[in-house]
Amino acid sequence: MDEEDRFYVRYYIGHKGKFGHEFLEFEVKKDGLLRYANHTNYKSEKIIKKEVYCNKIVLEELKKIIDSSKVLNADDDKWPEPDKVGRQELEIVSGNEHISFVTTKIGSLLDTKDSQDPEGMANFYYLVQDLKALVFAVMDMHFKIKPI
Amino acid sequence: GMQKRRDGEGEEEPAKSVEGWILFVAGVHEEATEEELLSLFDEYGEVKNINLPLDRCTCYVKGYALIEYADLESAKQAMRAVDGNELNDQILRVSWAFLKGPIRDR
Repeated sequence: MDEEDRFYVRYYIGHKGKFGHEFLEFEVKKDGLLRYANHTNYKSEKIIKKEVYCNKIVLEELKKIIDSSKVLNADDDKWPEPDKVGRQELEIVSGNEHISFVTTKIGSLLDTKDSQDPEGMANFYYLVQDLKALVFAVMDMHFKIKPI
Repeated sequence: GMQKRRDGEGEEEPAKSVEGWILFVAGVHEEATEEELLSLFDEYGEVKNINLPLDRCTCYVKGYALIEYADLESAKQAMRAVDGNELNDQILRVSWAFLKGPIRDR
């Protein structure tokens, strides 16, 4: 595979609490396959898992969102480690760029201002919001489901 | 790269969604409204749903939308008619959002 063609996105957010392991995870591969899993113990024990093939236009939009976020230039070196509050993972492969970030949950933009890398964390925070917005729009329109 | 008409993105077949057929629209200008998109797209058939996500930082429109049609023919006609059109000085690209199988390498 040509290095320029490589594309992969995966996001995970979760925590393990008194209700067990609650998480949201999605992954997009370069052939268009979007895989989504949402597990919460609020209301039900079941994990919701869905898969759909997205068209090239959707991947191109994802790539545009990622490129304009500047997250590919960030570094999670100075970001807080995952803890009992939760864990986030973001992995992106785009052409010859590759990032793999692991950090704790970020409740709001205020949380990023106290960190050692407020700008990088804020970019990460907004990118995650934008990625979720696209994935949730896909889930809502294609499957008529909304995340819990 | 060369700008191509993305009519149906070639040979890949669209996948039907739970209640209809969904188009993905890119190149939507940042002040676009659902009403504006509706009036552009409902000419081709009944639009059941529009999803127009905002940029979480700026609160302007992020730049894409999903449009759901009740029937396949309306969606096809809308895609052919609107793809490549201008809306507020930006070229819209319209394709199927979902496919029956993986994107084929060209």
